[in-house]
Amino acid sequence: MLNFLEILIRGLMLGSVYALVGMGLTLVWGVVGIVNIAHGEFVMLGAYFAFWAFSLLHVNPLFSVALSIPVFFFAGVVVHRRITERLVKEHELSALILTFGMSILIWNLAQFLWTNTYRSVPYLTGNFPFMGLVFGKSKTISFGLAILITTAIFLFLRYSRWGKAIRATSQNSEVALVCGINTIKMRMLTFGMGIGLAGAAGAIISLQWVIFPQMGGSYISKAFAIVVLGGLGNIQGALAGGLIIGALESLVTQYLTAKMAQIIPSVTILVILLLRPTGLFRK
Amino acid sequence: MRNPLERNWVILGIAILMAFLISLPFFATDYWITLVILIFVFTVYSAGWNLFSGLTGYTNFGLAWFIGVSGYVSTLLIADYGFLWLFAWPIGAIFTSMISIGVGYILLRIKGVYFAIAMVALTEGTRELFGTEYLTPITHGGKGVPFVAGIRLPTLYWSILLLAFITVLICYKVTSSKLGLRLMAIREDEQAAETLGIHTTRDKIIAFVLSAFFVGLAGAIHFTYQNYIDPTFAFNINLTLTPIVMTLFGGVGTVFGPVIGATLFTFIHEILWAELTLLYMAIFGGILMALILFFPQGLLGWMKERGILPRIRKI
Repeated sequence: MLNFLEILIRGLMLGSVYALVGMGLTLVWGVVGIVNIAHGEFVMLGAYFAFWAFSLLHVNPLFSVALSIPVFFFAGVVVHRRITERLVKEHELSALILTFGMSILIWNLAQFLWTNTYRSVPYLTGNFPFMGLVFGKSKTISFGLAILITTAIFLFLRYSRWGKAIRATSQNSEVALVCGINTIKMRMLTFGMGIGLAGAAGAIISLQWVIFPQMGGSYISKAFAIVVLGGLGNIQGALAGGLIIGALESLVTQYLTAKMAQIIPSVTILVILLLRPTGLFRK
Repeated sequence: MRNPLERNWVILGIAILMAFLISLPFFATDYWITLVILIFVFTVYSAGWNLFSGLTGYTNFGLAWFIGVSGYVSTLLIADYGFLWLFAWPIGAIFTSMISIGVGYILLRIKGVYFAIAMVALTEGTRELFGTEYLTPITHGGKGVPFVAGIRLPTLYWSILLLAFITVLICYKVTSSKLGLRLMAIREDEQAAETLGIHTTRDKIIAFVLSAFFVGLAGAIHFTYQNYIDPTFAFNINLTLTPIVMTLFGGVGTVFGPVIGATLFTFIHEILWAELTLLYMAIFGGILMALILFFPQGLLGWMKERGILPRIRKI
């Protein structure tokens, strides 16, 4: 039983980081209306950002996590202004194919520049013993960071003026525009936030798992499962979805096989889309 | 093409082209034959993708699923059960289209982006499933199946040539038929089409299954040609991506766009692969982005807009 509890808690810690990835995706999708398939690649870039900062400049990885948010926010703003804003009015499938191309471009460039070597950030190794259970230090701290960022985003969207404007844009872009909200700016901000979240998630991931150019693919499929589980544009839903996916993955890995755990996102997407296409939590 | 004389010229042109292609194995080197085989394989993939996605507007991101399932069924029949390729290929394709009826019936009620994601999930899920320990006794797991089908290169060439010809012919027939019109009505506005009395679910499934059959058949031939199959290879995202790029370049929803795209891009692929092995996928991604941003109507669409080609559905 103790073992089960430990595995479950590990899964939830894992899930909190997945939730961070899923939240960026759901935010951009819900507000900007663009399904960013390249989201996983920004996670990968975030991980490499922390890795290079650590190995070349000896920057503390926790500081890299904080630093990655503004850096990736501006990267996202630039990408949106230059590329994706043009597609907002187009059919949503155009954006889907475009970001698909972007994803392939980014991970292949990364592979070309940094090769296929598996890398990791050796920081915070060791364990915290807690009430007879054992948790990895880096995993526990990642969990704390993920929850912190999630709370900050939630409060920002809920109470700040910009947060309200972003939510208005997501509900009805035209009415928001009539009410004097600069919807183009709000979409830009949201895209930046989404990419910022992806970068931060990547930096956090680099603390605990190996990083390599193709890693984005496995995170994007989990992120899609999270969006589908939580409902489009729903931040709390994304958090819950992330925790569910993480817990499932941890339990299946333990009690079945690691290969079976990789099927979870695909199965979740198919089952939820067919049975409850609005997500688990109706608003 | 109302002018009968003009029509005869077109038929003559096609006849000369076909005569050239049929006689190719008698004078070309093996390198050229294999290159043209790849052109035809990707012509069928692109035309098959276009037949469903180009006409209905439902982006199928799971083309590799058709290819992989059919490839696996036919490969296992040849390698483990000693079937002749001539029987194994159609069985693989028919099996794939049979499942596609069920898959289409279930998944085609999901609209837009969600359908695309569901197809990706289906492909990824099947890939992982084929590599698991539970299915290893049937699929040989992740280590793959090397096999020899005992087919000569010219025979393979003529088979895929015939398939490509039939596929393009079917695409031509479908696009210029009432079914094609109904599918395009679904693309423009599905609700309106339904209100006008179009049985949208049935028509979508017909197009989906037709697409699955031809793409599956080409997939079976593709893996026989490669003499090898494994899950990563069979359900590879590139097998979905490349035909989409080819179709976008040639012109989505046109009959001959995929053919032109597949021909041109197989050569581009061949050159890039040889010259810039490491960067060629990145360049492919860049091309895909550029096509969406600057050239969304494709080559044939552009020529129709400019009046170089007549604005008819049959091209």
